[in-house]
Amino acid sequence: MSESKSLDDMAPKRRRMMDMVLALGGLKEESVIPLSKVSEEIANLKSELEPLATEILAFPDAYFEHFLDATEKSAIISRITNKGLLKQATSYLQQAVSIRDTGGTRGLLNSMSSALEVLETKDEIEDTAAVNIESVLSPVSDLIVQIEDIVTGYEVAAEAAAESAHSELKSLLSSMSEAVSGIQGDPTSALDALQKLGTKTRYGPFLRTSAQVKRGIREGRIDEKRALHLVSENILIELRRGVIMFILSKMGSRTVVEISRLMDSHSSDIQAAIVSMIQRGEVEMVGLDEDAPVFSRVLETVPDSTLVFKRILQQLNGIGKSLEGDIHAFVDQSVRRMEFLLERLQKLGQYDETTLAEALNSLRETVDQATEAVLQSKPADSSEDLRLLVSAGLEAFARFRLKIALEKGPNLVSGTNVYGEKLDPEVYERMMSSYLDNELERGTILILIRELGAMTAKDLGEKTNIPKDRILQHLLRMKRDELLTSAGESHGYLLYDVPRTPTEAELAVETASSLALQLTEASSEFESLLQELRAEDIGKVVNALDVLSKGRDKLVKLTIEGNVVGKEILLGIEEKIRSAVSLSYRTRTKIPSTRPKVTLDDLAEVDVPSVLDEYKAMMGYAPLLGFGTIEWDISKCLGCKSCEIACPEDAIELKPVFEVSKIFDISDEALDNLPVNRSLFYKTVKGLATQKPTRDIVLADDSPGFGTVEVDLWLCVACRTCVRRCPGPDEGALELELKWSLPEVVRQITSKH
Amino acid sequence: MTNKSPVLLCTCGKQLKLDYDYLETEISKLDLAGSVTVHDFGCQDSGLETIAELIGESEARLVIAACTSQKIQPRIDQYLQSLGKDSSRIAYVNIREHSAWVHKDPSEASKKSLDMIRGALARVEDSKSIVSETKEIPNHVTVIGGGIAGVETALSLSNLGYRVTLMERESSIGGHVVQLPVIAPTGKSGKEIFSSRLKALENDKNIDVMTNTTVKFIEGEMGDFLAHYISPDDEDEKTLQTSAIVLATGFKEFKPTMIDEYHYGKNPDVVTQLELSRMLTEDRMVRPSDGKPVNEVVMVQCVGSRSEDYKRDCSKLCCTFAIDNSLEILERNPDANVQVVYMDIRVPFENEMIYKESRERGVDYIRGRISMVWENDNTTHVRIYDSLLNQYLETTPDLVVLSSAILPSDGVAELSETLGYALEEDGHVKDLYGKLRRTETRRRGVVAVGAITRPQFVFEAVTDAQAAALVLHNELHGGKIEKVARGAVLNVDDCVGCSLCAQQCPRGVPLMIEQTDAEEEDEAQKILFKAAIDTLNCHSCGVCQSLCPSGATQLNFLSNSQLWSEIEAVLEGADHEYPITVCFYCEECSVSTIDIVGTQRMEYPASSRLIPVPCAGRVSIIDILKAFEHGASTVMIAACEKDRCHIGGTGNEIAQVQIDVARDILNAIGWKGERVDMYRMFSAEPDRFTNAIREMVKRAQELGPTPVHKGTAGKWMEAVE
Repeated sequence: MSESKSLDDMAPKRRRMMDMVLALGGLKEESVIPLSKVSEEIANLKSELEPLATEILAFPDAYFEHFLDATEKSAIISRITNKGLLKQATSYLQQAVSIRDTGGTRGLLNSMSSALEVLETKDEIEDTAAVNIESVLSPVSDLIVQIEDIVTGYEVAAEAAAESAHSELKSLLSSMSEAVSGIQGDPTSALDALQKLGTKTRYGPFLRTSAQVKRGIREGRIDEKRALHLVSENILIELRRGVIMFILSKMGSRTVVEISRLMDSHSSDIQAAIVSMIQRGEVEMVGLDEDAPVFSRVLETVPDSTLVFKRILQQLNGIGKSLEGDIHAFVDQSVRRMEFLLERLQKLGQYDETTLAEALNSLRETVDQATEAVLQSKPADSSEDLRLLVSAGLEAFARFRLKIALEKGPNLVSGTNVYGEKLDPEVYERMMSSYLDNELERGTILILIRELGAMTAKDLGEKTNIPKDRILQHLLRMKRDELLTSAGESHGYLLYDVPRTPTEAELAVETASSLALQLTEASSEFESLLQELRAEDIGKVVNALDVLSKGRDKLVKLTIEGNVVGKEILLGIEEKIRSAVSLSYRTRTKIPSTRPKVTLDDLAEVDVPSVLDEYKAMMGYAPLLGFGTIEWDISKCLGCKSCEIACPEDAIELKPVFEVSKIFDISDEALDNLPVNRSLFYKTVKGLATQKPTRDIVLADDSPGFGTVEVDLWLCVACRTCVRRCPGPDEGALELELKWSLPEVVRQITSKH
Repeated sequence: MTNKSPVLLCTCGKQLKLDYDYLETEISKLDLAGSVTVHDFGCQDSGLETIAELIGESEARLVIAACTSQKIQPRIDQYLQSLGKDSSRIAYVNIREHSAWVHKDPSEASKKSLDMIRGALARVEDSKSIVSETKEIPNHVTVIGGGIAGVETALSLSNLGYRVTLMERESSIGGHVVQLPVIAPTGKSGKEIFSSRLKALENDKNIDVMTNTTVKFIEGEMGDFLAHYISPDDEDEKTLQTSAIVLATGFKEFKPTMIDEYHYGKNPDVVTQLELSRMLTEDRMVRPSDGKPVNEVVMVQCVGSRSEDYKRDCSKLCCTFAIDNSLEILERNPDANVQVVYMDIRVPFENEMIYKESRERGVDYIRGRISMVWENDNTTHVRIYDSLLNQYLETTPDLVVLSSAILPSDGVAELSETLGYALEEDGHVKDLYGKLRRTETRRRGVVAVGAITRPQFVFEAVTDAQAAALVLHNELHGGKIEKVARGAVLNVDDCVGCSLCAQQCPRGVPLMIEQTDAEEEDEAQKILFKAAIDTLNCHSCGVCQSLCPSGATQLNFLSNSQLWSEIEAVLEGADHEYPITVCFYCEECSVSTIDIVGTQRMEYPASSRLIPVPCAGRVSIIDILKAFEHGASTVMIAACEKDRCHIGGTGNEIAQVQIDVARDILNAIGWKGERVDMYRMFSAEPDRFTNAIREMVKRAQELGPTPVHKGTAGKWMEAVE
């Protein structure tokens, strides 16, 4: 069993298990399709793609030419001060150029490299000067007003978007109810209609479920009745979830009542749908509207600006506690306003961060300065550690926390805590020094990342000489505290970055350079795949086209000074890419995928019950009901073959072998339990015998009434049909024992044959 | 109440060399025997009167030891029925053909006769009266298909006094025949042939013609079928109650679109033979592509027929069709040039004459195949391989005519799902028995006529139709059918639902009914079934009885206990000194063979004891083992030839299984497997039986005493390894 088998050699039941695993993962495995059909499909795809290919392949180059022009005209690159970002961008572009050297990317690379050089030479250290805390904080009020205005703008825009989405939703709902009314008559075409709607909602689970059901119907695994049930129940529920997702993403966060009003359906249905969507991690609660919870789509990433804002808020709150008098009231009031703002931002979910950048950056600088001022106005004792940290120019916020800890800490040793306990000075020493070590290391990490851009644990280890496990610990801790965010990966390591509010220029450069690489890779792969299109490459083709299509979608949103760059190119290519993607998707669903190479060993790790449950929850049925072993009792068997006839999987068979010696071991009681003629037959045989048979009788042909039941456990899906159908006395001659441990079943199966 | 039965011994005019005094004395001593009467002419009036008297003695039980029941039974039945007496409890013992005439030694023959009479007494003791009730059924038959066969059956049935509904899928009656320009061998056109029948149909008030009507499915039994159909004026499915069904949906011409070399479906000038017939009938003999006249015609035979890929056998009609159509072409255009590319020309019967005529009229016959058809400059090109000359010919005909295979019409398989008739491998309806029952199907009350069973010429279809009408009349008796008669009767309470009967019944009579109510109450969530057997449809072979593990289904004239007590009685006193061979014989081929052995006075050993069963399939493994248990030295089954079981085909195969398993079991439990065997026979070769019985008697002697004789049977626990 140790030797790995490819999917093709896998026993059918295994394959079904795998199918389920793959279906849950969104992949498909089919292999019953003949090779000729596969080649035919591939040839069709190739001939359909070829006319589209030239323009698709040409579009990235043309776009980046335009982009280069636009950057030169607007001089946005010179406006970028984030070195990390520039470094990252140049490395992307270098890779892109190494794949294909085109005018646009090469030009971008050159201008960015020179911008980076400029930036590195004028590295200056700014001294911090002592300042008056009141005057420092004075702009905060204005800045908050400014941000409030911007957020109100966001909300108006979101409202408008919701308004326009409203009509889309209306048409979606009306075509949905139309399709629903056709389900009873013809579930298959109703399913087609629903699928079309599904693509509008872009809700993954629905698309997967409907495709699976459709395939099941096509292959005859799902009968008509079942199909009707699945379409009218499960599919519809998934589509409802899809519509909810549509509302949440296009019309913003909503309460259940609001959604049910929008969808014109009962709020209990919506409630149920939302609950399962929360369980799936698709929806989360972001606030309360009076008493009703407001739900929002779970965002893949929270906008960095929200995180920055949150941090500023915390920082200001902290400062406020150290202040007294009017200024304390002022800070308190600001904090309250900011708390409300934060909630509004969270409800908004996604928004255009660039407009917020300026105000937010000023606010951050202001609060940073105020923190400095607070630190200086209350100078600490001549603690070596504190000096060290301050001189190291550590993150203001971190230093502030440190200062409080160092100031209040000694009290724990000299006085008592609220419970009257005293702290052992030695323990305090140890605690303090490890705390300081931690803070010191975390501070260093934050500074490095802030200055040099996103870094991995490996990079940080090299730069700081802090042991790797500690770095990782700090990174995770700071990520949880939202001091860091993950920013993609590099060579298999996660990249960490501080939350930054990107300017339009930064966003444009960052996006464009990373897309430059992705698009170059994808188009060169697509080009080479297309030259000799093979069935096993279909997945790669789909992926490459997908990257091109998604890249295009992102570029359309990219603006320089408010204008979309290369709009004509992008719009011109839109339909072509889209149809190329859907063509290749369609072909992929028709032919067997060649990945992933799953081995039997992989399967042994599968948690069977959970996969079955999950699949059932998603599809409403599972092609495999479980794993089990079936015990056959000859003393109750009538040899009638009913089990074999009833078995939906052809897993059980009456073999023409008559285990005649076993009937001599059947107790008289069990004999009397058998139907009368069967019992008489055995008794007559025993009455005639002069010796107990030693060997089984191998019959030449199938002989009605005689035989040995054998179960092919590779095929058995543990549906229990045979057990239920067996007409033998008592509970029948068959007994099914469900087993969940895959390795155990495999051992059983392999030991027999 | 007495359980004794009177015995009538017939001397056959005092010419049987049996010891009647011995028989009379010995029979009188038997517990089960009542009066013993010796009569010289049981089959004559005086004998029949005696029998009628004896019938009154013991609740109609009677054993008649005389000649073969094949001869005497019908006479006695008829006589007793005319007196209103019950003849169903009479057991016959053939002491003439099966004993007196085949054994030299009268005392041995007498002993054998006595044993068999003893057996019959045991069987008759437990017999039950079989009362045949009659049932009134609608005097109505439904004919599906309005072609020549369907119309002819409808007319014949109407003449026999039935009301008929004729359902036709198309908008008009006539089927393929009206499209044929000439019907061999009459020389008349299809329309002409059909017109008189159409007129008769119109004038016939007993026949209701429904066109544009499609039969969806049919449920029920003979006398009470319910046809579900859709008619054009109403979208809803309607039903029609009817007593019998005539399947006459004819044939479908194979459309060779998938055979690339003919370019059929791509080139409009490539047509099938039937399409050509239509063109000729409608008098539009022009090129379908451009309407230009047709001068050059290439016909291709065996398109799809005699091909492993499409239709394996010959379609029988196409050669004649092609010749008819070529003559028709020449009739209209004497300058036309017709080439027929053939593999073999097969024109049966008088059609040979038109083949000859066509050769004289200049039709060109080329032995070979077409290798390809292609188009160039609006001309059709054909390349022909001439296998006699071994060369390729190329021509540019105006018309290429493909003699396409004849396939069963659509929907035959679908209808069979509910109607339960069997299908041939090629999709045609299978007849009940190829030799003698051609128009009947496996299902009682369903007959198949015309091309639905095999390709047929018009005159064959007409003959078929007339025959089928009579066959149905024989079953329906103008509306009075037998309700319960001889056959399997199910005791539902004993049925465990194993479905062995339903799986193996040669006629598909038992139906498995799911017991949904019981399932709901069942705690173990069992899927529960019970069989349902309609004795009316049963042909009394006893296969279900042989296989039933619970004895739930049994023939009402030969129950398990009847046969087992007969076996025991026949073998009374059997020992190793005079080893007995038991022969179960079927009352189809085997009884005929054994009777002929008797009439030819062929001799065989008298240590044989013959036990009749309706079909070899009735003999279960228990019956075989019982014979050994009661002292038989060897046991054999005499059955019909392979594939010629008269009861639908598989009874003898079930018997073979019992024999094979019994042999294996005997070997396994310390016996000799050779003590049991199966022999197939038919009446034309009587020595098959004598050879068989000699072999089994020889084995009985050579193998010596059985463990039963030696007293070791059942002592397996004491046996040392």
